[in-house]
Amino acid sequence: MVSPIRAELRKLLGLPTARVALVLGTLLAPVVVLLNAPYNRRALAAGTLPDPTQLGLRELGVGLIGALVLGVVVVSSEYTSTGDDAPGARQLTATLTAVPHRLRLLAAKTVALVLVVAAQAAVTAAGTLALTQALHGEYVPMPAPARVVAVILYWVLTALLAYAITLITRNGIVPLTLLILNSTVVSVSYLLTKVTDLAAYLPDIAGAHMFLRTEDFPVELAPVTAGLVMTAWVVALLAAGAVLFHRRDA
Amino acid sequence: MNTARAELRKLLTLPSLRWTALLTWAGTALLAYAYGVTQPRGDATALAPLGYAQAGFLVLGVLAAAAEHQAGGQIRTTLIAMPRRLLLQAAKDLTLAAVTLPVAAVTAAISTLPAGGGTWTPAATAYLTLTTLLAAAVTGVVRHALPALVLLLSLYFIAGPLLRARFGAFSAYLPDTAALDQSRGAAATITWTVTALALAALTFNRRDA
Repeated sequence: MVSPIRAELRKLLGLPTARVALVLGTLLAPVVVLLNAPYNRRALAAGTLPDPTQLGLRELGVGLIGALVLGVVVVSSEYTSTGDDAPGARQLTATLTAVPHRLRLLAAKTVALVLVVAAQAAVTAAGTLALTQALHGEYVPMPAPARVVAVILYWVLTALLAYAITLITRNGIVPLTLLILNSTVVSVSYLLTKVTDLAAYLPDIAGAHMFLRTEDFPVELAPVTAGLVMTAWVVALLAAGAVLFHRRDA
Repeated sequence: MNTARAELRKLLTLPSLRWTALLTWAGTALLAYAYGVTQPRGDATALAPLGYAQAGFLVLGVLAAAAEHQAGGQIRTTLIAMPRRLLLQAAKDLTLAAVTLPVAAVTAAISTLPAGGGTWTPAATAYLTLTTLLAAAVTGVVRHALPALVLLLSLYFIAGPLLRARFGAFSAYLPDTAALDQSRGAAATITWTVTALALAALTFNRRDA
């Protein structure tokens, strides 16, 4: 089991898109903290910033796009053509020749993705929160370790969500559009919470409640419940993706 | 004329474009309903779903332009048939605009009419068509669907809102401000699109296919 994981790690880290996603996803949140620093300092001093204790945790959100792209390309790269002169040839054929047991291959891919995203999330969270401490230490307390762990878990689960959807669609366009659109400031899921209370159980809304507290929500999920709801979504979609990957022609 | 007809047939027979149009309409209808239930009728409610619906048009532009550069190298066959590149690029842009226009008009109508903002429909149609052309131009330079899409979506949905929230005066220079505030951003949308189209045509003319 170790050598397929090592192979999948090398494949993932060798993709140019994945490298860009790693670097940008890690740097984006700290850069936003730096750019917002003058504005935030004025707002904190004036007391106009809503809920200042969560400042660092909120500003981490922009880096999530790196995890999304990693989750998508780890699958979509297998399905893109390997060259201009052989449009039908795809990397997946070679991968399956090396590891014919499909579910074992999928497990190795999942482990590789989880490792990379967890490492990226840990570095980004540590950097962003430390920077927030250094810049606004007198107003923003360091979040409890459990919340930082919850953020890392949220990044990993989001990457797995993108990964599961890509396994089903076998194409990166759909999950990327859906998930980037939903990570914007006013997300579609947030809009839906205004229409129906059930939308509070959508994976991104529930997941964010693992580490953020919000006041204006119809359904307030406890952090552990929120984590379980998001995990349930990811497990369900991954199971569907695994069944399809197992049954469909490559 | 032949070139335009050929490009038109190529675009109309791409299944991914049909799916994108259908999903965009469905998504816009859902959003228009969500806004209609929760917000009062008015211009802001009429235009709000378009802020999300433009993602569909970015995808449309990306897929239309990337199809030529997919593995198999369709672009080489195209260039054998039509070696004059600038003329070919012009035909491509015109046909894409012609194909997008009706899709954009329907989307704009779904978004604006229920909220009583029918006067905005023509402007919104023009905005969505220009956005599609901008996406196609960017993809013409990048040549790969996925990186181009990530670039465009993160500019429109992550960088754009952040910049507008912090530097309000700056927003008149962003290409996507017009989606929500037509009076301020129209000039920026046109300038960005024309610049991107010119750049795409120049690089297409100079680079190896």
